[in-house]
Amino acid sequence: MKHEVKEAGASVVVAFEGDIDLQTSPAAREALLEAVGMGKPVVVDLAAVSYIDSSGVASLVEALQTAKKGGQDLTLAAVSDGAMRVLKLARLDAVFTIHDSVDDAV
Amino acid sequence: MSNAQALPVSDTAAEDARRFQANLELLAEMSRDFAVSRDLDAALLKAVDHITCSVDAEGGALFLLDEAQENLECVACVGATEITGLVIAADKGIVGRVVQNDLGEIVRDVSKDPNFFGGVDEKTGYTTKSILCAPLTVKDERIGAIELINKRGGDGLFDPDDLHFLAALASSAALAILNARQAEALVEQERIKRELELAREIQSSLLPQAGGDTAVIAGVNQPAREVSGDFFDHFPLDDGRVCFCLGDVSGKGMNAALLMAKTASLYRCLGKAVLSPGRLLALVNREICETAARGMFVTMVGGIFDPRTGVVKLANAGHEPPLLLTPEGEFQAFEADGPPLGIIADPPTKDGYPETEIQLNGGSLWIFTDGVTEGYIDGEGTELGDAGVKRILAETGGKPLTERLQAVVGVIKPGEYGMRDDVTLLGVVDDVAARPPAETQGAAAAGSETIMFLRLPARADRLRVIRQAVRSALEYLVCEDEMTEEVILAVDEACQNVVRHAYGGRDDGEIAVELRRDGSDFLVDIQDFAAPVDLDTVKSRDLDDIRPGGLGVHLIREIMDDVQFVTPPAGVGNLLQLRKRLRTKAGAS
Repeated sequence: MKHEVKEAGASVVVAFEGDIDLQTSPAAREALLEAVGMGKPVVVDLAAVSYIDSSGVASLVEALQTAKKGGQDLTLAAVSDGAMRVLKLARLDAVFTIHDSVDDAV
Repeated sequence: MSNAQALPVSDTAAEDARRFQANLELLAEMSRDFAVSRDLDAALLKAVDHITCSVDAEGGALFLLDEAQENLECVACVGATEITGLVIAADKGIVGRVVQNDLGEIVRDVSKDPNFFGGVDEKTGYTTKSILCAPLTVKDERIGAIELINKRGGDGLFDPDDLHFLAALASSAALAILNARQAEALVEQERIKRELELAREIQSSLLPQAGGDTAVIAGVNQPAREVSGDFFDHFPLDDGRVCFCLGDVSGKGMNAALLMAKTASLYRCLGKAVLSPGRLLALVNREICETAARGMFVTMVGGIFDPRTGVVKLANAGHEPPLLLTPEGEFQAFEADGPPLGIIADPPTKDGYPETEIQLNGGSLWIFTDGVTEGYIDGEGTELGDAGVKRILAETGGKPLTERLQAVVGVIKPGEYGMRDDVTLLGVVDDVAARPPAETQGAAAAGSETIMFLRLPARADRLRVIRQAVRSALEYLVCEDEMTEEVILAVDEACQNVVRHAYGGRDDGEIAVELRRDGSDFLVDIQDFAAPVDLDTVKSRDLDDIRPGGLGVHLIREIMDDVQFVTPPAGVGNLLQLRKRLRTKAGAS
């Protein structure tokens, strides 16, 4: 898994690529919490995520909860089919605000 | 008449005849007016007009008591002053006194009566001289009073003869008002009846269509009243099996019917996604506990039937035991092992209601409500009973299912006498000769076939290897894409649990994964070689709780048809077995 953090407009965009699984989710979690720590709205770009497991989903939930506590927005964008399938199975597709593209989200 | 003794009786026959005639006319007119217009107020206005003219008064007003008998409202008024809508306390004024005493009065000079209410005269400038007032009463039921003001001509004062006549007219009017009110109530009853008939139609449309002669699953429902608290349903699942249920809501009537509609909808909706009757009943139970009215509950049997194998998986929430009829003619009952739905929100076990697996082996399974066994089959109150049901089922063996269902309910006397409760019966028949071809049966009988076996370090970086292996195995089995992705996730989650928890942080442990085909099922055995786990600590996730803990186990259960720990062959470690019925790609052989 690789990730990239960049600023777009008023938001911070965190883009992930590859598999987010038990091995890589600690890095994903750290990147997400760091982005939330910047105090701006966070957009998580999941377009290039080929696989995500429950530990990856847990990182997203934790980042969302942390962002909400600070009154920040955390939204998902361009969610790949594979990631969407897992969010739906976990019944979390309604918990997150999901945008079709990063451009829509920022 | 209660107020007659105070009055001198008229001695002229002609006057009697005139009054008798006026009385009859009043009754006829009021009844006709009401029948035509259905408007009681309009009919009352005509009546007041008729009475005022008949007694030859300048004005008249009719007061009715409200339901609480606390106030009198003027509902009709003619002549001198307009006071329609005026409300006074039921014990105030001359009219109040007449109603309280249930005795007609003649007040020749109102200025001398302490109870006279002069407010209206003050506003209108009209001068009330004399009042004639009679109660409207039928037997002991007080309805109100009618009050007349100022006799026309002469000194403007009423005499006792006038009161006598008014009293007679008033009792006729009271009768007409009471009749009209009863007619109104009747109209309301008719309306409710029509609505119930509509509700019944809607309700029966919720039941599945009866199948033809070859149907392997069918039911029948006959409500004792307009609407039923019983229900049954059956619908096909994507994997070729059939999900069914039958339930009985406590109580009767509209409450029960509404809870029935809710329960049946929940079952059907959840039943297509949750392929386990036990977990399904637990979910429906939780929902009903949260929202149903106190004191109402539902007994219910839920199940899944596989017509290709003749196997029924069953869960029973406090319902009458379903009956298995074997081809040899033996009956076996399956007692409930969970409470009715809507009583305790927590399911009996962590996996929901306990499930029973029944191999029909060419026999049939029958589920019914107590309305069937308690129905009367003759005019002497003989119940059909368990024995009666069994006898008919045994006698009709070999006949089409729908015919057998009709044979059972047909012996119960129709109508409220025989059907003491809603009558509902569902049958599931395993016709071995007509079983749909299951390409898998030979293989299943011959045992499972290993596709791949892996033994590797139980470390997070090896999960990718396992996912690749599962993908290869499912590609080899030509498994449909969506299912492939889901099963990879489930296996990954199960292996994660081993990596994370089995060896307590040590990284020299191993994990063994065996991927197999068992008939039309995909089987995954995941074994570790650590100390056995405490099953109670492996909890499924509460859906309302979005905390991540337990999410992995939730995903596994959501995706796989069956998840269980089995005894490992070598007797060491833990062996988790996941099973999923394969969906192959369209066009694959």
